[in-house]
Amino acid sequence: MSNPFGEPDDDESCEILEGFLCPICREDLKSAEFLTVHFERSHAEQQDALKSVFKDIISKAKNKILNFDETFDLSRSFDKNATISGAASSGGTSGNVAANATSGADNNGLKMSNARTRMNVFNFMDRQEVGAEHNHLEYFQSIRNPRLERYASETNKLIIRLHKLLTNLPMDPVLRKQHERNIVTWLDGSSVKLCPSCAKNFHIARRQHHCRLCGSIMCNDCSKFLPIETALQLASLATSQSEAIKEMQSSSDANKSNPQHHGIRSCDHCLWLLETRQEMHESRTYRPLISQIYADIQKLRKDVLPDIEMYLKIVGSLYDGESIFTIADASALRGKIGHVAEAIDLRSKRILAIPCQEGSREGALKKAIRLSCSQLIKDKILSIPPLPEEEDIRKIQDRKRMEAEQRIETERRQAMEAYERQALANNASGGQTRVNNENDYAYGSDLRSLDNWSAQPVNISQSEDPLVEQINIIKGYIKQARQEMNFEVVETLELNLRELQREFYERQRASRELNQDAGRSKQAT
Amino acid sequence: MNLITAIKLYVEKMCNESGPGMKTILLDKETTSIISMAFSQSDMLQREVFLFERLDSGRSNERMKNLKCIVFIRPTKQNIQLLADELRSPKYGAYFIYFSNIIPRTDIKYLAECDESESVREVKEVYADYLCVNPNLFSLNINSSMHRLNWLPDALGRTVQGVLAVLLSLKLNPVIRYRAGSVVSQTLAKQIYEQICKESSLFDFSRTHENGAAPPLLLILDRRDDPVTPLLHQWTYQAMVHELLNIHNNRVDLSNIPGIPKDYRELVLSGDQDEFYGNNMYANFGEIGSTIKNLMEEFQRKAKDHKKVESIADMKNFIETYPQFKKMSGTVQKHLCIMGELSALTTKRNLFEVSELEQEVACKAEHSAQLQRIRKIIADERISVDDAIKLVALYALRYERHANCDTSSLLQIIKTRGGKTAIVPSLIEYAGTHMRQGEIFNLVRISDAVKLTRNLIKGLKGVENVFTQHTPLLKETLEEVFKGRELDPMYPAINSELVPFRRPPQEVVVFIIGGATYEEALAVHQLNNAGYKVILGGTTIHNSESFINEVLNATDGMQFKHTKTMLKYISSDNY
Repeated sequence: MSNPFGEPDDDESCEILEGFLCPICREDLKSAEFLTVHFERSHAEQQDALKSVFKDIISKAKNKILNFDETFDLSRSFDKNATISGAASSGGTSGNVAANATSGADNNGLKMSNARTRMNVFNFMDRQEVGAEHNHLEYFQSIRNPRLERYASETNKLIIRLHKLLTNLPMDPVLRKQHERNIVTWLDGSSVKLCPSCAKNFHIARRQHHCRLCGSIMCNDCSKFLPIETALQLASLATSQSEAIKEMQSSSDANKSNPQHHGIRSCDHCLWLLETRQEMHESRTYRPLISQIYADIQKLRKDVLPDIEMYLKIVGSLYDGESIFTIADASALRGKIGHVAEAIDLRSKRILAIPCQEGSREGALKKAIRLSCSQLIKDKILSIPPLPEEEDIRKIQDRKRMEAEQRIETERRQAMEAYERQALANNASGGQTRVNNENDYAYGSDLRSLDNWSAQPVNISQSEDPLVEQINIIKGYIKQARQEMNFEVVETLELNLRELQREFYERQRASRELNQDAGRSKQAT
Repeated sequence: MNLITAIKLYVEKMCNESGPGMKTILLDKETTSIISMAFSQSDMLQREVFLFERLDSGRSNERMKNLKCIVFIRPTKQNIQLLADELRSPKYGAYFIYFSNIIPRTDIKYLAECDESESVREVKEVYADYLCVNPNLFSLNINSSMHRLNWLPDALGRTVQGVLAVLLSLKLNPVIRYRAGSVVSQTLAKQIYEQICKESSLFDFSRTHENGAAPPLLLILDRRDDPVTPLLHQWTYQAMVHELLNIHNNRVDLSNIPGIPKDYRELVLSGDQDEFYGNNMYANFGEIGSTIKNLMEEFQRKAKDHKKVESIADMKNFIETYPQFKKMSGTVQKHLCIMGELSALTTKRNLFEVSELEQEVACKAEHSAQLQRIRKIIADERISVDDAIKLVALYALRYERHANCDTSSLLQIIKTRGGKTAIVPSLIEYAGTHMRQGEIFNLVRISDAVKLTRNLIKGLKGVENVFTQHTPLLKETLEEVFKGRELDPMYPAINSELVPFRRPPQEVVVFIIGGATYEEALAVHQLNNAGYKVILGGTTIHNSESFINEVLNATDGMQFKHTKTMLKYISSDNY
């Protein structure tokens, strides 16, 4: 099992092997990655693995006999090998070292095969790019678009006509007809004996009618009527255009059942074109309540995901004992995330509460949205780790600080020793310098810890050092960023601040040494 | 080379290309299965796909213009017509159309003419046209691929499409080899090759040849070379569940088993979504029992922990670990449920006894002793008739040419027990010695000295496990392939211009006409773990029951030439 290609010691073993070979089982693992994985899995506890080279036929036979004894035992039948080799090794301790070694090797072999079968295939294979695809959109459009363009130009013509028809529409029926004929020339009906769409002949009772939009002829039964409101919308005219339209509207309100009184007579084709246009327009601009709320949810969701990442980062950094962020930061951010969760929850409930038909697809949609929201909240938001305990963090930070202070302490002691040696040399004139130096020292070490430093703002504001000013400005920024919970900015600023403080401290020390040098030179003179 | 990832990448691409906003997805029967193998419903919800609709059934007329619609269908005539109808009166705001395979240009033209309201935003072919069972195993769900031992035309068409889709989704332009002497393999190889030539621009993956690596290999095999593997009882988890409970599209139907809790009527077994299953699908029955026991103990310990929720801090803690807790309890109960059922069936059908004998027949040549045991066992009323038939079938396959072969008397016993005796002669017609090429039973030939030594060593090593002695022929075949052995006599190449000079391929796709098995999937998995890139596919994934059905269908209405001695057991009332 360990080597799927049978025994390594068969006819091919005399060849020179090449590749990523496991040094123990001489198996070609194909890549460095596989080799390391293989080695970690299979030979981790195999310290005496090299002994496995000595295979002992006697113990094999023993194995086989034991094997034979233990069939038909449900619980043990599959663990048999393990138990047998275990038994063999316990027997081996009595004296047979060779057998012991072999059974150990067998045991390892078994573990290896187990590791093999246990390896989860689902996070196993290498990265993969998306497969081949073939785009047909271009061809599709090359067929569709000319057709649509033809329709579109036709429709546009109709809409222009409609616009003209509706502006300055006269009240008087005769004048109105004149107006209509002026805009659209009607087809000459004298030679048309039959209605083109239903093929019934025209007579006194079945009179010819004209489409007001294209002028074609049809009978009354085949006429369609474009509702006046739709017409106004299509022509993008306001309702209060003219008296005639108002009158038409009022008459249509009074007389809903009869469409002839409140529409523009048109043929089937024109009406279809206009209706399609209207529908496309509506479907593009259609935004029911559910879509609006959903857009809100998506926005919240998009905003909260980086926050969650930031929160994890803050918590991680706190546990590492860094002092860039405080527990207050974490708790504020956690609160914010919680707020968003509530907001999402609330909105998904609002979606659920929008009335709709029982058992309709919209109902299913609303339920699905609600489900996905609660999933999001449960999996992503509620599963974030809890705030770290203040005490733990303080302990971690204290430990860190102690370490740092110790380091400073040793540095300081070395400096002091150096200084004392110097002081012994020039005890007469060095007094003044020492006082200064000590002040500087205290100042410098205070700078190391943030809290102490901010506790003496007066000192700093009085200082004329541009570095200090810069430090102060940055601290102000940090405060602002904290309030706005912009933690990425906080992080970069904090790091800047550290740099500045370090720089400041270095300078202080340099100037102090300069002083000392000056003192020494004075003494020399 | 991960099939599940391939499908996932495609679906993710579809979801991304349609942009943000509420979405619905319009599928047909097959694409529904394809997606459900790679994604759970909640996965799709997270990708803003809230509604699922079938193009071919149960459609409502509700208009929802505020939704985008992803259409993912197979390019069949019926689907095109239905989609055209949909486009003429669109219910959704925008359509993103994806076909799961190569679609004729005329169909695109027809659809374009129907899109009068300009609602189509995307038309694409993506090649997610197979069911990914495991990362290295795919199926096409064709339960019956042959009739009178030749292709059913529909099955052939679907198979060509399925295999092409696998190649395209993994970006492989392979050398195609087929089992010599098998007409069905040759037909399939030819048709696939013709398609690749026709769509040469699609198969132009220049990267494969640039670095001088050997091109990948598509190996088309015939189930009839190895009829033994699907007949054997299986002991690894996935295979065993399929054998005893039947896995269909990664789902196990337990609804007809008494005493199953309501939530567990239908269980999803997806290694991708269920970590426990992913880790243990290849573990054997004994191992998995102890793993579940450990998991149970851990679970109970945690459950006990949670029982003493006293303070507010406890409660908080509980809520915080709740998702994992719930997930874990669900997994444990699910697998416990399955394991319970498996072990009940094992005891009821005396499967240990049967399986041991099955393995003996398959792996060792001791005719008279085995005949005795088979006689005894198939007459035993505690052994189910179906298991008895399988034993006789194995015997008949194994000792078909043996001088003292006594299949008739065994069939007589089956007949008195009322079993379907016709299965055995059908199986011999389907995959008897006259059909097979390789030697599936390890009959040691003196000429093959290497093999002899190997068998000897195997014998000395002792049998690791009596229930899993058998290794499928496929494993041996693949080992030959990777060792760079001469393949031409057994597996001629149809596009020999691509064949490299004595270099083994790095990537192999194996397709078995007549169905693959989970035991073979395990063999492939072991090769994968050893660093070889192999993918296995079949017209379907067989267990013994479905395999026997396929055999009966394939030989239905044929004149039996090779089983004259069993003539009296081939009566029509036995079907």
